Amino acid sequence: MSLGSLISPARVLMVDDCPGKKELIEALIRLVCREYKQLDPADVTAQVLKREEGISTTLDTGLSIPHARLEELTDFAAAVAVLRKPLRDSSGCELPIRVMFLFLSPAKPAFFQQHLQLLSALAEKFKPEFIEELVSLNQADEVAARLAR
Amino acid sequence: MSKNTPSENHSGSSRVKKVVVLTTAMLTFIPFWKAAAVVLCDFGSSAFYAGGIAMRAFGPAFPWYILAVMLFSGLLLMLELEACSLFVRGGAYKIVREGLGDTAAKLAASALIFDFILTGPISAVTAGHYLSGLLNSFLELIGAHFELPGNIIAVGFGILVTMYFWRQNVKGIEESSSKSAKIIAFSLAICFLLAIWSFITIALNGAHLPPTELSFSEESLGWAGGIDFMQTIGLVGMIMAFGHSVLALSGIETLSQVYREIEYPKAQNLKKAAWLIFGFALLFTGGLTFLSAVIIPPELIATKYNDNLLAGLAMSMAGPNLLKLLMQAMIVICGVAMLSGAVNTSLIGSNALMNRIAEDGILTDWFRKIHRRFGTSYHIIHLIAAVQVAVILLSRGNVYLLGEAYAFGVMWCFVFEVSAIIRLRWKKAAQKRDFMFPLNIKYENYYVPIGLILLCGALVTVACVNLFTKQIATIAGLGFTAFLFAVFSLSERLNAKRANTMFEEGYRERINAETVDDLKEAFADLDRSHRILVAVKDPENLYHLEEVLGKANADETDVIVLYCKPVENILYRQDMRSAAIDEQEVFTAVILLAEKYGLPVTPVLVHSNDAYYAMAQAAAVADAEEVVMGVSGRHGANPQIERAVMTWGAVKDQELKHPVTLRILWEGREVSYRFTR
Repeated sequence: MSLGSLISPARVLMVDDCPGKKELIEALIRLVCREYKQLDPADVTAQVLKREEGISTTLDTGLSIPHARLEELTDFAAAVAVLRKPLRDSSGCELPIRVMFLFLSPAKPAFFQQHLQLLSALAEKFKPEFIEELVSLNQADEVAARLAR
Repeated sequence: MSKNTPSENHSGSSRVKKVVVLTTAMLTFIPFWKAAAVVLCDFGSSAFYAGGIAMRAFGPAFPWYILAVMLFSGLLLMLELEACSLFVRGGAYKIVREGLGDTAAKLAASALIFDFILTGPISAVTAGHYLSGLLNSFLELIGAHFELPGNIIAVGFGILVTMYFWRQNVKGIEESSSKSAKIIAFSLAICFLLAIWSFITIALNGAHLPPTELSFSEESLGWAGGIDFMQTIGLVGMIMAFGHSVLALSGIETLSQVYREIEYPKAQNLKKAAWLIFGFALLFTGGLTFLSAVIIPPELIATKYNDNLLAGLAMSMAGPNLLKLLMQAMIVICGVAMLSGAVNTSLIGSNALMNRIAEDGILTDWFRKIHRRFGTSYHIIHLIAAVQVAVILLSRGNVYLLGEAYAFGVMWCFVFEVSAIIRLRWKKAAQKRDFMFPLNIKYENYYVPIGLILLCGALVTVACVNLFTKQIATIAGLGFTAFLFAVFSLSERLNAKRANTMFEEGYRERINAETVDDLKEAFADLDRSHRILVAVKDPENLYHLEEVLGKANADETDVIVLYCKPVENILYRQDMRSAAIDEQEVFTAVILLAEKYGLPVTPVLVHSNDAYYAMAQAAAVADAEEVVMGVSGRHGANPQIERAVMTWGAVKDQELKHPVTLRILWEGREVSYRFTR
C-alpha cells in the first residue's frame, strides 16, 4: 500500500494557525470519520490521545504521527495537516510540529506488520526537505498530489 | 573527559544534536586451555617444593602421598566446578558468605589470606633455591671449591621477585594468560623430556618403588607425639602424612578466580579446564615427584636436593654431566617462571579477596583507597607485599619452615566452602547447576549431597589432624586468622554506616571509560560477521540481553550493548530524565551477564536526548543485523516498536545492505519487525 493512496485532497488540512495539538488531532479525526461512518469521532479521539500519553509520536524532523489501532477498521485510514506556523508539541518533548499525519490502522494482529511498515515509510518519506516542500504548497490538492508522487 | 561531536545524524534533525560516545573496556574471554594454564602456573608450581618438604616430614614414602594429594585434587576441582556453576561471583569468600553467613565468610577469608600470603614467600624462596642450586652445580662442574649460600640467595631472590610483582600490581599490569600458556607448554616439554630420560635411567641403572613405611620426624609429629591415639601407623599415620602433603594443593583455588574469564560455552569449558589441570598436575607434580623418589638416592633428597627436588632429578640421571646441567638449567627456567607466577597470583589473589571484603563494607576507607594514577587498591597491595617480604626474611630461606606453616588456610577454607555448598543445596535448591559434585540422592526437590558430605568429612579430618601435627601452621594460622578476623570485625563496626550504604548500592564494576570521537570509532574493532545491538536501560530488566547471550555464537557474532544516557542540558522529558539510572549500575549488570555466558560484549554509552534515535544511529553505524530491546513496563512492547520503526525511518537515508530485524523480548514473548530495504 502506498502512502499517497491513503490521502485524498479531502483529507488534507492546510493550517495557518492552530490552538494546540489536541485540537489538530480532533480536526483530522473528523476528516477521516466523515468517510468512515462506522467510526465514532469521540471514541477514536480518546484512543489516539491515550496513545499520545505514551511514547512520543513526534519526530525531530517536524513530523508528528498520532495513531491508533481500531477494531472497527478493516483497512488503513489517514489524514494530514500541513502547518504554516510550527506548533510546539505539548506532550513533553516540545518539538516543533510542521506536518501532522493521523494514521489509523485495523486492530487485527494480521495488520500489525503492515502498520509498522507504514509508520516506518512515513518517517522515511517525511524528511525535513520534504516537509519544507509541503509547507511551501498552498492548496490541499497540491499536497495530496505531492504525496501521491 | 567527554568530547562532544556533531552527531552522525542521518535525518538532519535537531533532536540528536550531539552524541557523546563512551566505550568501556571490551570484555574478552579466554579459551579453557589458557584458563587452565593460569591455574597451573600456580597450582603446578608446588611440584618444585612439595616433595622435598614431605620427604623431610615423613620420609621416603612421600611420592605416594603427593600422588594421593594430586588424585584428591580431582575432588576439589569438582567442588570448584559446582561452586562456579552457582555463579556467586567472588570465589570461596562469597560462596561461604552466601551459604554460611558473614562470620563464617570472614573466618574463611582470614584463613585463606594467611595461605595466600605464604604462597608468595614459599614460591619465591623455592625459586631462589633452584637458582642457587644451578649456580652451585655449575661451580661444581668447573671445579670450584666453594658453594654459594643457598638460603641467602633464596632470601635475596625471593625479595626481588616479590618487589617486582608488588610494583606490577600497584601499576595494575596484569600478566597475560598467553604468557601462562607458554610457561605451561614449556613445562610440559620439560616434563616429557624428564620422563623419557628418567625411564632410560631406570632401564640402565634399575630402580625400586619408594617404600610405603612412614618415618615421621619429631618436629613433623608436633603435638601428636604426645597423644596416645595419634599413632604413626595405620590410618591415622596415613592421614598425618597426607596432611603434610596437602601443601601440594597450593594454587588450586585460582580456578574460581579465573572462572569469570572463561569463554562460552562456560560450563563445558570450565570442565575441560578442570580436566586439563587435573591431568597436568597428576603428571607434573605427582609423576615427577614420584620419578624423583625413584631415581634420586633418599639421602641426597634429605640433604642436597631437599629444597630443589626436580633439579636433583636432572642431576641424578644417567648421562654426561654437561647434559645434566643443561637439563637442570631448563628446570630452573621453568621453575623460576612458574614459581614467580605463583608469587604474582598470591598477590593478585589476596588483593582480590581483600577487595571482595572491602566491597561488603567490612574494611575501612584506608584499605579501599584507590591509586590516583593506576586505579589499583594500593594500600592493600603494599600491606600484602610488606608482610610477604617480612615472612621471607623471618624464614631465612628455610622452605621447610614455610611449608610447615602452609596449608592451614587452604584446608579450613575448603572445609568452609564445601560446608557452604552443602548448605546451598537446600538454600538454593531451585537454582540450575551446570555441574553437581557426584554421589547425590534425589529427595523431593533436593539433591542430598552424599559425595560432598564425604568430602567434607575427609577435609575436616585432615584439617583437624593437621592442627596437631603442623604446629607452626596451627600457631601461625590460628594467630593470623584470629588477628585478621578481629581486624575485619573491628573495621566493620567502625565502618558500619558506610557498610550499610554500600550494601544498598550493591557491587559496582569498575568501568574503564574511553571517550571516542564518534560511533564509527566505537565500533572500529568489531570484526565478526554478524552484529547484534542490544539496547539496555534497566539493570533489573536484562532478560533480552540474556536471551541474546544464551544463543549467540561467540565466534561469529559481535554483541554491542548500548546504554543511552539522557543529556541534561538538552530539552528532555522530565519523567525520562528522572528515570535515568547510573551507567555503572547498568554496565555492572551487563558485565556480570557477559561473564555468566562467557561471551564478549562491547558496552557502549551514548549521550543523547532520545534513546530510540541513539539506537537507530548506532545500529546503522555498526551495520547490525539485529536490534534487540527489552520491554518497557510503563509503555508496553507495541508503542515501543512503533516508536522504534518511526525513528528508524527518520534516520535511514540509504538502502539497507541486508535485512535488519528489530526485536522486543520479554519473558518468553517477542514482538519483532524486519526491515528489508
